[in-house]
Amino acid sequence: MKITKQDLKNISLLSKIKIDEDTSSSLIKDLESILTMVNKMDELDTSKINPLTHPIENTQTLREDIEKKDIEREKLQKLSKEKDSGFYLTPKVIE
Amino acid sequence: MSELINLSLTDQILGLTNKSFSSKEITEAYLNEIKKKKSLNCFISIFEEEAKKKALLADVNIAKNDARPLEGIPIAHKDIFCIKDKKTTCGSKMLSDFISPYSSEVFSKLDNAGAITIGKTNMDEFAMGSSNETSFYGNVLNPINEKLSPGGSSGGSAAAVRANLCSFATATDTGGSIRQPASFCGVTGIKPTYGRVSRWGMIAFASSLDQAGIIAKNAKDAAIALKYMSGYDQKDSTSLNEEVKDFQKEVDADQEHVIGIPKELIENIKNDQVRDSFRNAISILEKDGVKIEEINLPHIEYSLPAYYVIAPAECSANLARYDGIRFGHRSESISSLEDLYVNSRTEGFGREVKNRIFIGTFCLSAGYYDAFYNKALKIRNLIKSDFDEAFKKVSSIAMPTCSDSSFELGSISDPVEMYEQDIYTIPANLAGLPALSVPSGKADDMPIGLQLIGNYLDEGRILNLANKFQKLSDFHEFK
Repeated sequence: MKITKQDLKNISLLSKIKIDEDTSSSLIKDLESILTMVNKMDELDTSKINPLTHPIENTQTLREDIEKKDIEREKLQKLSKEKDSGFYLTPKVIE
Repeated sequence: MSELINLSLTDQILGLTNKSFSSKEITEAYLNEIKKKKSLNCFISIFEEEAKKKALLADVNIAKNDARPLEGIPIAHKDIFCIKDKKTTCGSKMLSDFISPYSSEVFSKLDNAGAITIGKTNMDEFAMGSSNETSFYGNVLNPINEKLSPGGSSGGSAAAVRANLCSFATATDTGGSIRQPASFCGVTGIKPTYGRVSRWGMIAFASSLDQAGIIAKNAKDAAIALKYMSGYDQKDSTSLNEEVKDFQKEVDADQEHVIGIPKELIENIKNDQVRDSFRNAISILEKDGVKIEEINLPHIEYSLPAYYVIAPAECSANLARYDGIRFGHRSESISSLEDLYVNSRTEGFGREVKNRIFIGTFCLSAGYYDAFYNKALKIRNLIKSDFDEAFKKVSSIAMPTCSDSSFELGSISDPVEMYEQDIYTIPANLAGLPALSVPSGKADDMPIGLQLIGNYLDEGRILNLANKFQKLSDFHEFK
C-alpha cells in the first residue's frame, strides 16, 4: 500500500501532530510496511460476518445517578499550566 | 537480610505471619537492592521514606494479629496506574510532570490489602512497544543478560521481579505486554479476562483490549495477587459484575485438564528450540495425566493485522485527550490555539506513539474506515468464534508465548518485525480471554515461556495448570 505526501498531510492535520520534511520519507516507509502487513486481512471474505467491537457481550453497566463531590475543580486545575479564576487559558481564538 | 528478597510472595506472607522477619526488614532489603541495581533502570519513581513508614505501621498491625492479606509486602506498580498525589508518567514526556489527583482501582485494592508500594516501574511509552525501548526514561535492561531487552511494555515490572527488586508487580497487557516480558525475563505473568480487573485509573491505550494483571515469581504468587486485584468496579463501565473465585484455593485444587494444541501453529514455529521446548512442556503435563487434544484456530494468523488496525484506531481516539490545555505537556512555543495542540502533541509524544496515532488516524479516516477498521472488527469476530469453538472440547489452550527468546537492545528497527513479537499473545486480547506465561525452557540461553489461554472467567484453571507445571519442572526457579 502506497502512502502519498498528501496522505501524510491529511494524517498530520487530523492527528494534530507535525510531520517534519526530513522525517517524512522514513515515516512513509514505516507506515507502508505496517499497512502492507495489515493488508493480509484482504485474503478473507468477511462479507457475511458482523463486526465485533468489544470482546465481552455484556451491556455496559450503569451506576445510580447520584451526585458525588469527589471531583474537586481546583485540584484538577492545578494540573494545567495556564488557568485563571476556574478557567483554562488558551491563546486567543476570536480576534 | 538479603535472603528475604529471594523469597516468593507466598513465603513472605508466611514469614511475616509467623513473625520470622518484619515488614521493615523486607522493605529495607528491597530498597537497598533497588539502589544497587539502579543501572537496570527498572523504576521511574521510588517511594523510599513512605515505604519505610508504611512498613513500620504494617509491623504494628502484624504484632496485633490484625494483618490484612498482603500486609507489609512490598509491591511495585507499573507507571501506568494512577496513584493519588504521585507522579504517573506512563513512560512519556507528555505526562512527565503529571501528578495524579486520584488513585487507580488496582492500586487502591492492593493498598487496602496491605501491600506497600515501593515504586513505579518503567515501561514503553503509553504501553506501546515490545522492548521497553520506547520509554521516555530510557530502556530497562534484562537482568539475566543486560545487553538484551526485558521485553515490553511491562519490561520494568518483569525485570524488577526477576532482579529480586520486589516479589510481585502490577502490569498491563493490550497485545502481550505482560506475557512477552514475563517470557523474556523467566517469570510468571497473567492477563486475566477482559473486565475482571478494573481499568479505572489505568491510563488508556486501546480500551477494548487493555487489561491489568500481575507479574510474579510463580503461578501460586500470581494467584494470590490476582485475587486481591480482581472484582467488579462501578467506576469502570466495562468491569464484569461476576463473582471472583478464590484463585488462591483454586491454584492448588485437584482439577482435570484438557489442553488444546493448535497443531498447525505449532508445526509452523520457526525456532527449533522454541518448538522443542513447547513439546517438552506439553509432554511433562501429559505424563502427569493431563489430556491433550488437537484443535483448529483457522483465523489466528489474521490476529496480527487485525490488531494493528484496532489497537492504533483506539489509541488515536484515546490519545486525542492530550491537548496541552488541561494536563500533560504544554508547548511554550505557541501563538495560536492550533499551535498549542500541534506543538504540545508533537513535542510530548515519542516516535512509536506517533506512528500508532498516524496508523489509527489513517484507518479511521473517510474512505478507509470500512476497508480497515470495520474489516478488522469482522476478523476479530472470526477469531473469537474460533476460540469459542475450541473451548467446547478443551479446558485451556497452549502455545508458546513468543516466537523467540529476548533480542539485543537496539537490534530491531523495522516496526513490523517488532510487532511480530506479539504474534502469539495478541489473539487472547482480541477475544478478551485470560492468558498467562510460565517459564518453560530456554532458547539461545535465555528463558522462553509457555502460554496457557483459558476460557472466559476461568483464570483459576490456567493458574492451576501453571502451578501443576511448576510443581513438575524447575524452569521458573532463578538460577
